[in-house]
Amino acid sequence: MSKPRPRLPRRARNLAALVAVAVLLAGCAGLEPPAAVTAQGQDTRNLYDLVFIVGVAIFVLVEGLIIFAVLRYRRKPTDTELPPQIHGNSVLEVIWTVIPTALVVVLFVLSWQTLNKVNAVSPSPALTVRAVAAQFQWSFEYLAADGQTVQYEQLAPELDLPVGVDVHVILRSKDVIHAFYVPKFLFKRDVVPGRENNFDFTIDAADANQTFRGQCAEFCGTFHSTMLFSVKALTPTDFNAWLQGQIKAAAATPAPAPSASGGVAATTVELSAHNIAFDQTALQAPAGQPFVIKFTNNDPGVTHNVAITDSSGQQVFKGEIFAGPDSRQYPIPALAAGTYSFACSVHPQMTGTLTVK
Amino acid sequence: MATTTLRTSTGYRSGLYEWLTTTDHKKIGILYLANSILMFLLGGIFALVVRLELAQPGLQFLSDSAYNQAFTIHASLMLFLFVIPVLAGFGNYIVPLMIGAPDMAFPRINAFSFWLLPLAAIVMLSGFATGGGAAAAGWTEYSPLAQAKYEGIGTDLWIVALLLIGTSSILGAINFIVTIFKMRAPGMTLLRMPVMVWTVLVTSILVLMATPVLTSALIMLFIDRNLGGHFFDPATGGNAILWQNTFWFYSHPAVYIMVLPAMGIISEVLPVFSRKPLFGYKAFIFATAAIGALGFSVWAHHMFTTGAVYLPFFSFMTFLIAIPTGVKMFNWIATMFRGQLTFSTPLLYAIGFLTMFLIGGINGAFSAAVPVDFAIHDTYWVVAHIHYVLFGGSVFAVFAGLYYWWPKMFGRRLNETLGKIQFVFMFIGFNLTFFPMHILGLSGMPRRIADYDPNAGWNDLNLLATIGGFTIAASLLPFLWNVFITFRSGEPAGDDPWEGNTLEWATSSPPPPYNFDHLPEIRSERPVFDARHRATHA
Amino acid sequence: MALQVSDHEDAAGHGAEQGISNVILGMILFICSEVMFFAGLFAAYFNVRANSPIWPPAGNEHFHVANEIALPLVITTLLIISSFTCQLGVWSIRRGDRQGLIRNISVTVILGVIFLIGQGYDYTQLGFTLADGTFGTTFFTLTGFHGAHVLGGVLMLSVVLYRATAGQFSAKHHDMVEAVSLYWHFVDVVWIVLFSLLYLLPTAR
Repeated sequence: MSKPRPRLPRRARNLAALVAVAVLLAGCAGLEPPAAVTAQGQDTRNLYDLVFIVGVAIFVLVEGLIIFAVLRYRRKPTDTELPPQIHGNSVLEVIWTVIPTALVVVLFVLSWQTLNKVNAVSPSPALTVRAVAAQFQWSFEYLAADGQTVQYEQLAPELDLPVGVDVHVILRSKDVIHAFYVPKFLFKRDVVPGRENNFDFTIDAADANQTFRGQCAEFCGTFHSTMLFSVKALTPTDFNAWLQGQIKAAAATPAPAPSASGGVAATTVELSAHNIAFDQTALQAPAGQPFVIKFTNNDPGVTHNVAITDSSGQQVFKGEIFAGPDSRQYPIPALAAGTYSFACSVHPQMTGTLTVK
Repeated sequence: MATTTLRTSTGYRSGLYEWLTTTDHKKIGILYLANSILMFLLGGIFALVVRLELAQPGLQFLSDSAYNQAFTIHASLMLFLFVIPVLAGFGNYIVPLMIGAPDMAFPRINAFSFWLLPLAAIVMLSGFATGGGAAAAGWTEYSPLAQAKYEGIGTDLWIVALLLIGTSSILGAINFIVTIFKMRAPGMTLLRMPVMVWTVLVTSILVLMATPVLTSALIMLFIDRNLGGHFFDPATGGNAILWQNTFWFYSHPAVYIMVLPAMGIISEVLPVFSRKPLFGYKAFIFATAAIGALGFSVWAHHMFTTGAVYLPFFSFMTFLIAIPTGVKMFNWIATMFRGQLTFSTPLLYAIGFLTMFLIGGINGAFSAAVPVDFAIHDTYWVVAHIHYVLFGGSVFAVFAGLYYWWPKMFGRRLNETLGKIQFVFMFIGFNLTFFPMHILGLSGMPRRIADYDPNAGWNDLNLLATIGGFTIAASLLPFLWNVFITFRSGEPAGDDPWEGNTLEWATSSPPPPYNFDHLPEIRSERPVFDARHRATHA
Repeated sequence: MALQVSDHEDAAGHGAEQGISNVILGMILFICSEVMFFAGLFAAYFNVRANSPIWPPAGNEHFHVANEIALPLVITTLLIISSFTCQLGVWSIRRGDRQGLIRNISVTVILGVIFLIGQGYDYTQLGFTLADGTFGTTFFTLTGFHGAHVLGGVLMLSVVLYRATAGQFSAKHHDMVEAVSLYWHFVDVVWIVLFSLLYLLPTAR
């Protein structure tokens, strides 16, 4: 029992303590959420900062007491008598019950106030969007002022929104539970089948022309990690122009004919998608003449398409989006020689390169 | 008492048949511990598989489906077949000894409770042999994803396994409660019971009241999946949130089931190695009961983002839980103050518990503030939180308990040097793995994703977490080696190697069948301490 | 319940010989867990019922089970009577009357079996199945699991009966009889609640 302690472990323990402290300090520096880009997110951020300060204070106090006790009250070889057998101290115990109680009540009241701000829903939002989640894709329906009629359905997982005005989002699920999560909003809400959750937010005017990453946060099945989307903040003017343009374009192009009359002898390139991935990531096609991409979607119930972008980022072709299992013949116009990239509009992480020569 | 080591070789090597048919609470306790540690290693392998896949973006080793199975089975093994049973194992071994009882109240039911567990493990893991693979909808198995149209027969096997484990838990809880109320030695009043016994008692009441609700939820899910029921799938008239309510009505109290006995272990270890009584024994017991009671009113804090729960109530109750937990933390620290600390391995793990569980408490308070929870729910922050509570908390307590009671169980002490090496590696590895997850979560990395965007800024921290995970795995090698060499040639322990306080140290190591030849007089919660010091100071 | 026992023990300072026996306390705790099990099922029932615009849901006139209440009423009566016969058996053995125990428990077992047969026959006459909407699902789940508990009770009573005929119980040693009777009363009470909900209050919201 009172054998001398071996040397090595003690040194190792000190080293461990040093490393732990270093890691914790380094960690603390990174322990802040991203800068919020919505008014509601800023409220949440303020609350986070408050809880963080309280948390760090408690951490330093209690961890300090532990370290002090460990360093100060080691058993010495001269300790043959028992230490004082203290069974408790009512005053101390009342103090360390009452102070935390007061603290948590204050934290609760403050978080409730913030909650009321974050959860507030405007009776007259400037824009209402319905986010529709399904395994494994997002689409966004822009509703008319009546809050019912769908003006425009954005099938690509890109949510274009105006800054500086109140946006109302309604969540709808076609199958399982998903969650609408934009880290820079400091907010998420579950997309629950059978109920329509909704919330409001206002993107800061200063954050116009930025794009924010969004992602499904509730595990929703095999390809959960592919359910990405992005939020594109536009000035109200740009947004209105964009929305009207989309409405007009949707009205003008009556869904491109599936197997449009390409040249009879046109080259056909085959491509298929399965498990939210293309089977090939490098395609080749002849330069200067139209060709056909025969695209097979093997994911049951999941929509895909093929869109081609040139090296300057200009989209040169966008194929019809359709659900699998099915296939389409995309007539591709003549392209100049060069390297292009192709992607699925619904799943931007599905990409490949198209070499035209 | 000089015959202690002799008994080791005769009493505990009496053949496979004896172990398979035993109704001795000590052997059943050891079986629980052995089975649980096996599950810990197995669950750890699944964790390593998950960490390996996440070390860098892109899918290198697994398909999406295999990844989902891996994290689902990792969590299910660790929660249901490691943490809960390992603590039940300590309870089984130590509670009758601590209250001076010859055995548990229902020895045969006790054996039955144990043997359900390996059976459940086989059933759950047999999912891997089916076409669709093992359960893959996460250990929470949220409906509608857990319905038959999305998930295969592995989920049914998972349900059956959990029903078996639930039955085992309920029978075990009844056994503990009856044992504690009916089998105490003369003089062992309720307020002289060791804190460990109190925590097992409160835990058993939680199990008794919460686990049957999970059983009913599992049965309803099974009916939905196999008999055309309509409980949980909105597409057929059910309610998806109903599953979450019934599931968390069990699974939040389950968190306390997984942590209260761990607190009990710490409350035994700290006083012994400080040579002081536990500071504020009654307050500690009251706090334990309070945690148990409050534990039933906070389940919906797992559901803040569903939009379907009354947020202020559950937020308030969740904040309240911090109070009894804080009281315990201060009691433990005050126990060390003005004591004489001996840094044996059990105390190291106990201090590891205090430091890590503190973080697990603080980062949990963030989620009690509902708007902050909107930001961090279902991100890696939550993964960090649960591991700081259940690994930094419970697992460190499990190792404290193993090193503390090993001499009692086997009559030999585990090697201290190897124990300390293990502690250092585990402590470092643990923090390397889980601390970065706070930052990952804040920056928006959702949990349960098989792959992530290489440009999201998550690469380095994920690699760090993976390195930490393998460090934890490495820390188990000295432990296994330690167990091996201790069985072969461990240092004989004697009956009371640590100068213990409680009754288990008043009998031989290992104790004889039916535990005690005679009992010391019980006049406080530290009868062995009283006997020792009455003898020396008389 | 359990805490009362403990207070009693505390006052005595040591309680191993005091209070109720291990078996009876164990059964009381087991019944507590069963209460929570049924609480889970009832919670689901009230949830789907509250979410339905009308109850029973429209579309199947057979859902109005109160219209065919004769058989359920008969078997309910029999089950309630069986609780009394069971208790008569307990009182008999408390007096040391082994024949009384055997006689009363036999009647109880027979009544339990009749209940099960009656319920099984009723299932075939209902005109809807478990898969017919939330009504069918909750109806069959609740009554089915209650039926399973009745079956369990009948089996336990049969063991009691077997041991009683073997002369293993006496006025002093009959904890198992007391414990099984508690379980049987519990099963009976659950049925009274179920019967009230499913048959007597079918349209109340």
